[in-house]
Amino acid sequence: MMGGIDRRTIGRWALTGTAALTLFYILMPLISVTWLSFYAQEIPSFPPQGYSLRWYASIVGNERFVSGLLLSVQLGVSATAIGLAVGVPAALCLSRFRFPGREALNNLLLLPLMVPGVVLGTALYVFHVEAEIATGGEFQILGSTVGLLSGHVLVVIPWVVRLVLASLAGFDRTLEEAAHNLGADRWTTFRRITLPGILPGVVAGAMFGFVASFGNLEMSLFLVGPGRTTLPIAILQYLEWKIDPSIAAVSVVQIVLIGAAMLMTDRFVKISRVV
Amino acid sequence: MAAGTTAPARVEERGGSILSAASLIGPATFIVAAGLLIPIAILFRYSLNKFVPRLLMVEAFTFENYVKFFTDAYYIGVFLTTVQVALACTVICLVLGFPLAYVLARTRTRFKNVLVMLVVLPLFVGNAVRAAGWMTLFGSKGIISVGLMGIGITSEPTEIMFTTSAVIIGIIAVNLPFMVLTLQSVIESIDRSVEEAAFSMGAGPWHMFWRVLWPLALPGIAAGVILTFILGMNAYATPVLLGGPEFKMMAPLVFGQMQLGNWPFGAAVSFILMITTLVLTMIAGFRLQKRYRR
Repeated sequence: MMGGIDRRTIGRWALTGTAALTLFYILMPLISVTWLSFYAQEIPSFPPQGYSLRWYASIVGNERFVSGLLLSVQLGVSATAIGLAVGVPAALCLSRFRFPGREALNNLLLLPLMVPGVVLGTALYVFHVEAEIATGGEFQILGSTVGLLSGHVLVVIPWVVRLVLASLAGFDRTLEEAAHNLGADRWTTFRRITLPGILPGVVAGAMFGFVASFGNLEMSLFLVGPGRTTLPIAILQYLEWKIDPSIAAVSVVQIVLIGAAMLMTDRFVKISRVV
Repeated sequence: MAAGTTAPARVEERGGSILSAASLIGPATFIVAAGLLIPIAILFRYSLNKFVPRLLMVEAFTFENYVKFFTDAYYIGVFLTTVQVALACTVICLVLGFPLAYVLARTRTRFKNVLVMLVVLPLFVGNAVRAAGWMTLFGSKGIISVGLMGIGITSEPTEIMFTTSAVIIGIIAVNLPFMVLTLQSVIESIDRSVEEAAFSMGAGPWHMFWRVLWPLALPGIAAGVILTFILGMNAYATPVLLGGPEFKMMAPLVFGQMQLGNWPFGAAVSFILMITTLVLTMIAGFRLQKRYRR
């Protein structure tokens, strides 16, 4: 029996050790890019010759990254708003009504998540080309903000539908019936009873949707116009050319923004329960 | 939104109910159907067109783009590289991810939420930023190369950038959070007492893992494997940045062809990528399901 206990202890240590290594592995790129952003010299050679904050100061003057950040935030916020406006009712419908083809509709709404980003980008690109031809070239769709936004809405919808649906599954419907019996109409019932009940799902859907839109790279690559790029694309294009502390500082800004969004969401709903 | 203002609450007529169901789900369905299905149909149509240099695209009905892909050694090479890289990454993700998922699922500390957030944060930060992190480490003057020379293992700078290893290391890091989170949720659903039962009957940890945990976790393992495989097949930023211009996988190939203006071939490669992913995923899902039933 003693042997068994020893083996269990060894097993536990091996397990915890591997888990810690894996976590370190996952975090390593974030740690190293943060470190690089504080290097004093421009060439990313190790060990650094000193540390400096000047790369952070230089971001403000970099038109490309500032406008990329603004465009990404605008896109993320608008796409999330539209995604919530159409996604929450859709989730309500899927959980409340039984009708033929319900499963198929559910799958359809989750489909944008399944289609590879590059395929989605290519498909939307040719769609925009055809749309421009069909309208006689009067409207510019390719590379326009509207075209880009429509793609981002597609990316947000599955997250909202999925997380709100999950929330609705655990929601006690007798509360709604009680509200009905007390004379509340549907809209009041939704606003005062259902919405507060599924709020964690709505917040999580909004946050995941925003992050999916904000960080989207592959699809957006096909849809941005000349001279107007989102932040992830600006970062990618810079990195194709070179790596230096200034791009590292921009990356850290993105890490901090997303970390802040996560911490804010965590106040409403524990991240460990929704992922 | 519109649904709230339709029929009064207590009038549950059948017609009204269908109408409100339609008005609830209609907008989202329209956006996805028009914004995704139609574009994919057009993309497929494009893949049957002909590419003529100077004229770009000529309307046709031919499978020559698909034939070209599977008869040209270069493209077959790109295809095989992609499948191999995706497979390697998936296997390593499973091996590395399981212990972390297990610890996250079973931990009783109050830091659990923090740990989960540490796994989720890199996932949300995006692939380009994480590639930047690896580029810092991999360069010939980066910490790995300098460190190896410092210890005396190597005397020359090690060039990891622009190798297949660099791409695989990068994609594993990108896909690990997906694997870990999927496995964690399935392990959480397994009652801890079955593990205790195995131990109390004298099973060692390894034995318990293979005979109890693994079979019970198999549906989650299947989901995690499929997800990471799909993501590996479709990786874009990591191969572009860590593999360099010579290293080609399917997703960068699609982008390159579209940029060159060869839309029909780009469309065909997109379709090959999507269909291969779907088919391999279905085979994996089916096989695992069969084993699970037994």
